[in-house]
Amino acid sequence: MRGLRELSAANASAFRSIVGAALAPDLHCIEVDLSQAGLVDSGGLGALLSLYRAANGMNRNGGVSVSLVNPQPSVRQMFELTRMDRLFEIVSAPERIETGRKPETTS
Amino acid sequence: MKAALICPSEREAVPVLAEAGPLALAPVLGKTLLEYWLEHFVTQGAREVFVLTGDRAQQICGVAGDGARWGLRVKVLSELREPDVSEARAKLRESGDADWLAAPLDVVLADRLPQQPERSLFESYAGWFAALKNWLPHAATEPGRIGMREIRPGVWAGLNPRIASDAEFRAPCWLGHHVFVGSGAVIGPGAVIEDGSFIESGAKISESVICPETFVGKFTEVCRSIAWGNTLVNWELGSCLKVPDAFLLGPVKSPRPLLLRTLQPFSVGMLQPLWSWKFNTKTEP
Repeated sequence: MRGLRELSAANASAFRSIVGAALAPDLHCIEVDLSQAGLVDSGGLGALLSLYRAANGMNRNGGVSVSLVNPQPSVRQMFELTRMDRLFEIVSAPERIETGRKPETTS
Repeated sequence: MKAALICPSEREAVPVLAEAGPLALAPVLGKTLLEYWLEHFVTQGAREVFVLTGDRAQQICGVAGDGARWGLRVKVLSELREPDVSEARAKLRESGDADWLAAPLDVVLADRLPQQPERSLFESYAGWFAALKNWLPHAATEPGRIGMREIRPGVWAGLNPRIASDAEFRAPCWLGHHVFVGSGAVIGPGAVIEDGSFIESGAKISESVICPETFVGKFTEVCRSIAWGNTLVNWELGSCLKVPDAFLLGPVKSPRPLLLRTLQPFSVGMLQPLWSWKFNTKTEP
């Protein structure tokens, strides 16, 4: 999911609805692009937590990872403050901002 | 004898330290920088001190008063901008007036502790934290310090602490006056909890400063940071966050609107199952 400008109590319901509709049993990884998000509050954290639980509940094997891509430093602090950085993988990947694709790996 | 103290007006590297008041009133282990310097001038024989400030002179006056507290005569001089040492010396020391402390102590810029002249406080947040941590073991035992006692090796606490019996402390730690530490909290190493702060149960503070009258919420973790009210600065990276949720981090005395008081249980309810499930923490009875 890309283009979020904020994830807060104001749009948490909408976020849950949109992402919930896109969940599928065969998902293994969900990436949330936070590069443009200037605000994440407890409502937004709750929405991410709901996403995590819903995704893992839907996948019979569990183990669905939720990655937060390129969060701004202040947003990252919010995850560290609430210890959510231990639940979600925080990924800093400049290439993903430009192309929306994972960086290529070279053998 | 006389002396002059120049209060720094602003420092771009550490704006958060000047949000609540002038930098000279920044809290340093239970006292303001201004108080450290006034006490130092007394020990050096000064009897009259000029305090020059270009920033919020009223607040400086509120702390310094007329100096009677230190047996000094203190005059607070409001300036349009922060003068440098040579300017201040030229302005204040009349020619032929030898009744001043010997240079360089005659006119001093208050950007460091008197006991740590080699450590600048305001060049970076990391520098600020390093200076406090370095001063911590000395602050409790300096002459004139009242009320601090070592409750465990390397852990000092001030007057009227309320500390849960199962709170954990890892030295070195400083707990100021009237500090509350809740059940299961882990304080330290390298934790400074200034006066009047409230650390809720399960919180974890390390390599950080919790500035005066700051509330740290349940199960939060403050690491390598400076927390003041709802402002959280990572001193290592220099990033700054205004925490939007008062139940996570905020001022102790902020009035909470009715709507926020109503919503808070729902917000906490969303996050607490994760904390108790994921981190296997104890909940209060």
